Amino acid sequence: MSDTKPRTDGGATTTARLRRTLDRMTVEDAGLYVVLLFAALFYIVPIESGLVTSFKTGTAIIETAPFAPPGPSGFTFEKWQTAIDALLRGMGNSLLYAVPATVISAIVGSITAYGLTIPTWKKSYKAVVLMLIIAGIFIPYQAVLVPLTQFWSQWAQLDQVLSFVWALGVSNDYAGIVELVITHVAYGIPICTLLFRTYYKTMSEEMIESARLDGATLRRVYRRIVLPLSGPMFAVVLIYQFTQIWNDLLFTLVLVSTESSPAAPVVLILAGLGTSLEGQDFALRMAGAFFAALPTLAVYIFFGEEFAEGVAA
Amino acid sequence: MPDFFRRLHRTISPSSGDDESEVRADGGVVSDGPTADAPTEPDRDATARLKAALDRRFGSDFMESSIFWLPPFLLMGLFVYGAVIWNLLISLTDYQRFENAPDYSDLDFEMYTRALADSGFIDAAVNTLILLLLFTAGTLMVGLLLAILIDRGIRFENSFRTIYLLPMSLSFVVTAQFWLWIYNYNNGIANSVIGTFGLGPVSWLGNQDIVLYAIIFALMWQFSGYAMVVYLAGLRAIPREHYEAAKVDGASTLKMYWRVIIPQLKGATISAAVVLMVFGMKAFDFLYSLTGGYRPPNGADILATKMVREAYANLNWAYGAAIAIVLFGMALGVIGPYLVYEYRRDNL
Amino acid sequence: MATLELDSITKTFQDGDEEIVAVDDVSMSIDDGEFLVVVGPSGCGKSTTLRMVAGLETITAGTLSIDDRVVNDVKSQDRDIAMVFQSYALYPHMSVRQNMSFGLEESTDLPDEEINRLVSETGEMLGISNLLDRRPSDLSGGQQQRVALGRAIVRDPEVFLMDEPLSNLDAKLRAEMRTELQRLQNDLGVTTVYVTHDQTEAMTMGDRIAILDGGELQQIASPLKCYHEPANQFVASFLGEPSMNFFDVTLDGNRLVGDVFDYPVADEVRANLGQTTDLVLGIRPEAIELVERKSDAHEFEMTVDVVEPMGDENTVYLHFDPDADPDVAETLVATIDGFTRVSEGDSVVARIPEDAIHVFDRLTGEALHNRSMEDAADQVDLV
Repeated sequence: MSDTKPRTDGGATTTARLRRTLDRMTVEDAGLYVVLLFAALFYIVPIESGLVTSFKTGTAIIETAPFAPPGPSGFTFEKWQTAIDALLRGMGNSLLYAVPATVISAIVGSITAYGLTIPTWKKSYKAVVLMLIIAGIFIPYQAVLVPLTQFWSQWAQLDQVLSFVWALGVSNDYAGIVELVITHVAYGIPICTLLFRTYYKTMSEEMIESARLDGATLRRVYRRIVLPLSGPMFAVVLIYQFTQIWNDLLFTLVLVSTESSPAAPVVLILAGLGTSLEGQDFALRMAGAFFAALPTLAVYIFFGEEFAEGVAA
Repeated sequence: MPDFFRRLHRTISPSSGDDESEVRADGGVVSDGPTADAPTEPDRDATARLKAALDRRFGSDFMESSIFWLPPFLLMGLFVYGAVIWNLLISLTDYQRFENAPDYSDLDFEMYTRALADSGFIDAAVNTLILLLLFTAGTLMVGLLLAILIDRGIRFENSFRTIYLLPMSLSFVVTAQFWLWIYNYNNGIANSVIGTFGLGPVSWLGNQDIVLYAIIFALMWQFSGYAMVVYLAGLRAIPREHYEAAKVDGASTLKMYWRVIIPQLKGATISAAVVLMVFGMKAFDFLYSLTGGYRPPNGADILATKMVREAYANLNWAYGAAIAIVLFGMALGVIGPYLVYEYRRDNL
Repeated sequence: MATLELDSITKTFQDGDEEIVAVDDVSMSIDDGEFLVVVGPSGCGKSTTLRMVAGLETITAGTLSIDDRVVNDVKSQDRDIAMVFQSYALYPHMSVRQNMSFGLEESTDLPDEEINRLVSETGEMLGISNLLDRRPSDLSGGQQQRVALGRAIVRDPEVFLMDEPLSNLDAKLRAEMRTELQRLQNDLGVTTVYVTHDQTEAMTMGDRIAILDGGELQQIASPLKCYHEPANQFVASFLGEPSMNFFDVTLDGNRLVGDVFDYPVADEVRANLGQTTDLVLGIRPEAIELVERKSDAHEFEMTVDVVEPMGDENTVYLHFDPDADPDVAETLVATIDGFTRVSEGDSVVARIPEDAIHVFDRLTGEALHNRSMEDAADQVDLV
């Protein structure tokens, strides 16, 4: 892994660099920081103004600047209360499919990538399989939507297959959740495979050969060598996949009928939140947006490095 | 065909041109001692022989490794390629409304001719192209600029990077809410900013001529952090010596980047561009969330939204499928060359 | 314990439309318990050969047998071999003990206690008992090397394969490990194939050495035989440091005529040369003697160009014509006693003893006449 980030600094270079920066702080450098700060402002302001707006009363929204804090008189938790009430059930539903789909697609991706990277078989045949898989990452999902609807509504009627579950008192709308898990796993395989493959390619070939000479079958090599060493990549893939699945609207829209369904995921409810005949309630929308984004924001703040690695691959 | 069968036969036979020893092996006669003409110990089991033959054809671990990649590959293939082919079939039918299933007995290109005659489709296609080109080019430029600035050995590099990439972690549904608020006619930041220059107010999302560009701007905000990360990785792979050599050669900073550094970022540019274009085609989520419905703001309809609207709001399933095929073709036009490029560079 | 037989082994790679022959028709048979060193410059096919033996590369043509069993299509894990890699290839997430147990766990049905016992024994033999619970990343290069070795030894395989196992160590440790490896191999008596590019390792470690170049086997013989009776000019130039001196000469009667000197040869030597007239005269630097004054036709007046003192000996670069440009003149390299005082610009007389010369066919490189090993090393036990 070290050669992929040739200039990741040890402590020594960081201090050296810091000293260098201070020594040579010129007008040009100062300009650089100003530009960077303005850019940072540009990225922050939409989010910041959303955050402050979510705490504003109706009058404060009109009277204060969009990015200014509400002030004591215009401050309210009311919108957050409403948003949480509206979205909490969606949150649960989202977790219900996002977590299993993330875990399964990461595991399947790891296994697939292993089979396509470590064992030796003809490169040209491997390349064909890989091309088909990688192309699968980039397919616009619109091209599969109608068949997908057909498949789940006419061919694989989970509604009936899972009737024993509904008998337990679970709403049969939750068939949509199961469909979402399977769908997200199927369409998540390509990206998970690619991410794991880039990692497995950096593994020492001699180590794998050594394990095979030691008498291990491919299955044992995976179990005992490759899987235990995949930890860092699992972090990257799980985080990336979770963000993707949590944020996806298209499949939920198509597979889970409506936002009023008991199984409606959070994105679906949020898209319609705060819209009514009287106009748009922006404070409510912002509060909802932040509440819905909490899990991915938390993931991003705690695992920023892994997230960056996931998107860059 | 005969040639194919001969090849198949040759593939399956363990030792070509040695039929006699094979027959003996099949008969179960144990041949003692080293058999000089048969390089392998004779396999008595036909399936074992087939397995060995496949291994020889595809590589030594082919059969043993297939258990790992084949089932997921088939699942993925079914859902992706199976569905695309199915979609193509549906686009050739007249499937619509509440029919349970398409009628595959009568296939024609009616839906495609209908699309060409539909001004809404043409507008959406043009909008898609504008969005793809402007969004991709703009995002790449902003990303490159940020990456270069951040790579100048600044302090708080990580903090800046975290901030620039932050929007990327948010859902389209969420960012759409933020931009709705920014583009709000009465209280939005956009209008207050241009107001300080004595301009506006502008109805960003209401004006048909502006809305598409306003949306592109918002998408650039969300994705330029991604482009920056990709470029940063590319920049980090360039040895320090190249910067120093250019400096020693007397190149100005601007010239150094233009002539020495940026040309080396070709690979990063290509892969980032492909990903961005594909994201652009999927911009559906953002547009849907702006209005909370299948119809995006006037003047901002793209193929991705039109397809979903035709199929799921108007229940014109076959027509939606046809639009999807056009979109798929566009995506293929981007991905195909990219994959060939990666294959040539041995990057697969 | 096993014999290993390579019969006309060939390996070709497909590179686009081109077919690259990495190993070309190599045959050798390695005796039970023998230590064979395969040596050659990089890209000569030595590693590919080893990897074919290991089953890590498929064999394009030819047969490979272990103990008379053809193993071309036998998978690596079923060949009962152990391999030590240049990078050691230790499993980073396992302790040393787990690293060493892995092979036994995967390839045998031994109970855990038995495996533990074997690992502990091997650890003791290699002096790494105190390291058994550490991770590879906590070990020094030399310790990792020992673990890699231990991992191979504990399996008690039919054949050991070693791919430049010492090249990641520093010079001093390398010399130590060389001796230790030899001792271990001697004690264990396991058939060993050892690949290296280092001629010191080749000369000192092997029972026999096999020299490869361009994918072809040049010679396989005892180190001393290869050194003193090289099969061809490549082997002669590859072994020995400084390298053997070569002069293009033409045979004229009983004289070898070069650009700047003539060298008369006796009838016995002449008889070995047959009809070939385009020849190369070879002489090892250490065979050259500096004498007081020119007294026969095998002695030449020369000028000292450069002296490189090595301590115990001096490497002296001589050339024939005192006025010639030293960069282009034909140079003779001689190794002489470290106490002999010569300095740059001195005129000396160098003797090229006739019993030490080698003569090669200039076209094919094949050795036509070699110095006799009996003369070269009378007290060495010959193969």
